Amino acid sequence: MGDAYCSDCKRQTEVVFDHSAGDTVCSECGLVLESHSIDETSEWRTFANESADNDPVRVGGPTNPLLADGGLSTVIAKPNGASGEFLSSSLGRWQNRGSNPDRGLILAFKTIATMSDRLGLVATIKDRANEIYKRVEDQKSSRGRNQDALLAACLYIACRQEDKPRTVKEICSVANGATKKEIGRAKEYIVKQLGLETGQSVEMGTIHAGDFMRRFCSNLGMNNQAVKAAQEAVQKSEEFDIRRSPISIAAAVIYIITQLSEEKKPSLKDISGATGVAEGTIRNSYKDLYPHVLKIIPSWFAKEEDLKNLCSP
Amino acid sequence: MAARRNNPSGIVPIIQNIVSTVDLDCALDLNHIALHSRNSEFFPKRFSAVIMRIKDPKTTALIFASGKMVCTGAKNETQSKLAARKFARIIQKLGFPAKFRDFRIQNIVASCDVQFTIRLEKFACTSHGAFSTYEPELFPGLIYRMKQPKLVLLIFVSGKVVITGAKKRDDFYTAFDNIYSVLAEFKK
Repeated sequence: MGDAYCSDCKRQTEVVFDHSAGDTVCSECGLVLESHSIDETSEWRTFANESADNDPVRVGGPTNPLLADGGLSTVIAKPNGASGEFLSSSLGRWQNRGSNPDRGLILAFKTIATMSDRLGLVATIKDRANEIYKRVEDQKSSRGRNQDALLAACLYIACRQEDKPRTVKEICSVANGATKKEIGRAKEYIVKQLGLETGQSVEMGTIHAGDFMRRFCSNLGMNNQAVKAAQEAVQKSEEFDIRRSPISIAAAVIYIITQLSEEKKPSLKDISGATGVAEGTIRNSYKDLYPHVLKIIPSWFAKEEDLKNLCSP
Repeated sequence: MAARRNNPSGIVPIIQNIVSTVDLDCALDLNHIALHSRNSEFFPKRFSAVIMRIKDPKTTALIFASGKMVCTGAKNETQSKLAARKFARIIQKLGFPAKFRDFRIQNIVASCDVQFTIRLEKFACTSHGAFSTYEPELFPGLIYRMKQPKLVLLIFVSGKVVITGAKKRDDFYTAFDNIYSVLAEFKK
């Protein structure tokens, strides 16, 4: 019930809104003033005890501020195996032919998502990697570069910036086709580009052996005591002049700790597989660590005699 | 040459290599040069220049068909020029009207030892971090890109320092003076 101006009666009359047909009807002369009005009330009713999994009010995925239109457009997918269907496949072709400024970005984001899933990384790292990639892509000079290496390097930098560094070898293992050298070069390039763009605000701390300890130890299934001892040992070892890559030192410390513990000892091969360090390198790092082993290993973990029992390199 | 800089520590960087270029100012037939000289190699599929070596001073030259030449391996500015002149003389003797235009030293590589171990991670974290790159996974040395003079220093844990990118002797003397005072703070 309301009041509106009726064109037939030429004055304000009482107007009835018929919900079933969506008509606004003048009650005096019966003229339909508006028809097919759109109902703007809520489409679905949501109850408090219902599952939050499929909330029918929400459609589509979250908006992505990195994409040009917020990722709101619709993509026609190619149906599985039903390729014989002429209409859907040609529609897909026609849409792809159209200029889609984001196509490269979307593909890159998908690749980054696949890589971070394989490594089990949280969404924050993945989003940061996407952001880094977008910032680098905005400067057109990265066209001729190896895309795989570039994406892998974005992920590597994202992990570092979030203080959860991953070794280049780990990133290598999920990046298809990019070698350690290429990823390293791509990383230098990205750091330079980001520095140019924002005036040297790229903050990335140096890696320390302790950052990787937790992960390597859990890969090998060491118990909590051993993990704590290993972390302490690595902290102490930083004071000594050991000229080895932090990853190699971490692997050697794990080797020492596992040799000292009574449980099942992983072989050099197992440690090599978990850390990505070659067996020969672990042996050489062990040789470098051996002179300081008394000071590095915490006394609550192993006594002097056990340390004497450690095989001399 | 310029007088030795008075660095408080008394350490002077030693030149390891000098790269220089010179224009012989005439088109050259590389095949002819390769066939008529004993100390040269020429594989056009691999690289489009003749690689010629002489014993005294012990240097190598890349000679291009356009007449430009790159001379590497000398330990001294005068030796580099002398070697380039010797190469030009060889080309002359082979029958080409070689001249000696625009001799220019492009790069000098020098190395030295500060005699103490250095904490590279601390160095990379400080205000000099903007110029340093230290990735132990990728390369064991810290790469320091100095802005003034514009050159690159590779600093290692052992205390050895390699300076490259200098065009003049004074440049790397200045660079070493600058870096020595900074490095002393990060002695291990």
